[in-house]
Amino acid sequence: MRSFLRSREALVGMLFVALLVVTGLFNPNFFKPESIVEIFNASLTLVLITLGEMFVILTRGIDVSVGAVAGLAAVVLGTTLNLGWPLGLAVAAALATGMLAGAVNAVGITLLRVPPIIMTLGTLGIYRGLMRVITGGSWIENLPQNIKEPNLWNLLGIPFFVWVGLALLALTMVLTLRVRVARYFYAVGDNEDGAYLLGLPVRWTQFAAYTLAGLFAAFAAVVFTSQIGFVSMNAADGFELKAIAANVLGGVSLTGGVGTPLGAAIGALFLTAVHSMLIFLGVPGIWDNAFAGAILLAVVYVDYRVRTALELQQRQARIRGDLSGGEPS
Amino acid sequence: MNLFRFLRSWEFFLVVLLVVEIAVLGLINPVFFNAENLLYATLDFTHILFAALPLTLVIITAGIDISGVSIMGLASITLGLAWVAGINIFVALAIALLVGILAGAFNGFFVAKTDVNPLVITLGTLFMFAGLAQGMPALLDKLGFKAYGSAGLAAYQYEGITGLPDEFIALTEGTVGIVPYPLIAVLAFTVLLSLLLHKTRFGRSLYLIGVNPKAAEYSGVPIRKILVWAYVLSGFGAALAGTMLTSYFTSARADLGGDALLPIITAVVLGGADILGGSGTVWGTLLAGLILGFLRQGLLALGVTSDLIQVVVGALLIGAMATKQLVHVFGEYRLNRKALFRRNGR
Repeated sequence: MRSFLRSREALVGMLFVALLVVTGLFNPNFFKPESIVEIFNASLTLVLITLGEMFVILTRGIDVSVGAVAGLAAVVLGTTLNLGWPLGLAVAAALATGMLAGAVNAVGITLLRVPPIIMTLGTLGIYRGLMRVITGGSWIENLPQNIKEPNLWNLLGIPFFVWVGLALLALTMVLTLRVRVARYFYAVGDNEDGAYLLGLPVRWTQFAAYTLAGLFAAFAAVVFTSQIGFVSMNAADGFELKAIAANVLGGVSLTGGVGTPLGAAIGALFLTAVHSMLIFLGVPGIWDNAFAGAILLAVVYVDYRVRTALELQQRQARIRGDLSGGEPS
Repeated sequence: MNLFRFLRSWEFFLVVLLVVEIAVLGLINPVFFNAENLLYATLDFTHILFAALPLTLVIITAGIDISGVSIMGLASITLGLAWVAGINIFVALAIALLVGILAGAFNGFFVAKTDVNPLVITLGTLFMFAGLAQGMPALLDKLGFKAYGSAGLAAYQYEGITGLPDEFIALTEGTVGIVPYPLIAVLAFTVLLSLLLHKTRFGRSLYLIGVNPKAAEYSGVPIRKILVWAYVLSGFGAALAGTMLTSYFTSARADLGGDALLPIITAVVLGGADILGGSGTVWGTLLAGLILGFLRQGLLALGVTSDLIQVVVGALLIGAMATKQLVHVFGEYRLNRKALFRRNGR
């Protein structure tokens, strides 16, 4: 129980619920199930990109190209659809594009040893540029109707894509908490040299992390293309930074090896919900960024203070234990 | 620095690269051999240099500041709002630069006071400063202050706060001989930062913090104070960049410089600074910034679209880093071989 209270998931989760309640008190309309479902639906893109980014951050890396990867995958999806490809094939092409883009990052980082931030900053420019080169800079519109349909399906009043998101979240939860190979992400991020000496495939683990980040970005691309029905050239612009912010907010530490998919998803939900809540509170949308940034700073600062206070307490307890000759607690 | 060491340095390589680049571009399009054109072209990217030069100092400490692109917009809109409020344009300029310094100090405070990764902190302030810049005009307008300038909201949304006085526009239009003012300012800024970095205790401490923060702390370096100043300089540079762009575009906007993040960091890294801290020079950053800027200008002149240029710049960044890493690995390998060979030989 204490470890639950101390966890970042709990902190941000409670903050999230508190904010929901406050918003609801000011504007009862907010408590309608539709608004809650709408928040989930709207945050789906960011949740998916954030989950992919999580694998990279767990290995102590960083990927600032995920937004561009999502954009590129969306362009591939739109272009192939307009060429008359069947839906399944086009989606597969988009997912493959995402994985390939992620694998390119992985090759640069694991094989060429380019620092992750430099590599992915470089590919951020490359993928964004490629997007426009492929389309000639214009939006992809007039997509066939079949891509927009899945967005309308729903089960128990909850949209199909929200179910997909929940399924992917559950899958990553099981993976990261129960599957041995997926624990390698944590091991490599916590102590790369140690993992290497234990005989873990460090480079392959990093490779997998960046490829997964690309794949999840492509999932996100499929979702938002279906939701909005066209591909703009600014698609998923700036999502890389939001995904990092969401991870940090959800307790996935940039120093590697710490964090859970649930935390990351809550972080992403929070960042998106801020937008809806501010609107319900009557604050103009332009304050979104200021608010999100301030919350991020506040959370990492509070987390730092709590962490250092706890460490100090433990150290003092140990000193007292030593002086009285008793067992250190 | 003796000549031999200079010839082997990264900066010398960049000088050669710059000369070759201008020569190649000039052979393709003789416009590039016209010194006046060449110098005038720098106006398109001096804002990158203003932001990248002090960022070098931050990266030397193994930190990073990605909030600079938002500080540009914040400084620009501050300048515009102050001017709309009837404040003299040069006082408004000073206020905008002060806002940049305060924003940098805010970053520096959080970086120095906590052990949180600077990337996270400046990511938070990136959003925060951008949000402030976007929200401020709307807030002031609501409070009954005509923040959008004489042309009203629609014009503001389209082109920002316009109608800035001529003497402010002249700051980027003016030249000494054929050298534009901003370029002179960039050179002066580089010289100052270079002196600061190489001739003062502050500068040397930056390197020490980047190489080994523990050693720095135990040798009595006031780490926190120095870190705060590094981020203050970075904020100041970004504000300079923002106000320079305001003068160049003749309008104050909240979203100025939004797409400058990639070129700014590319300039610092291509300039030889190690993203992991401990090395880098402002001259390297200046040269790399010029190389990138002219490359962009040259490709544009050749009819390459700016989208494709983005691809080229990204590839260049990765290529330069990969080459550096491989040269490093090969160098280590050679040294190891040499050491081993000598031992076996005796």
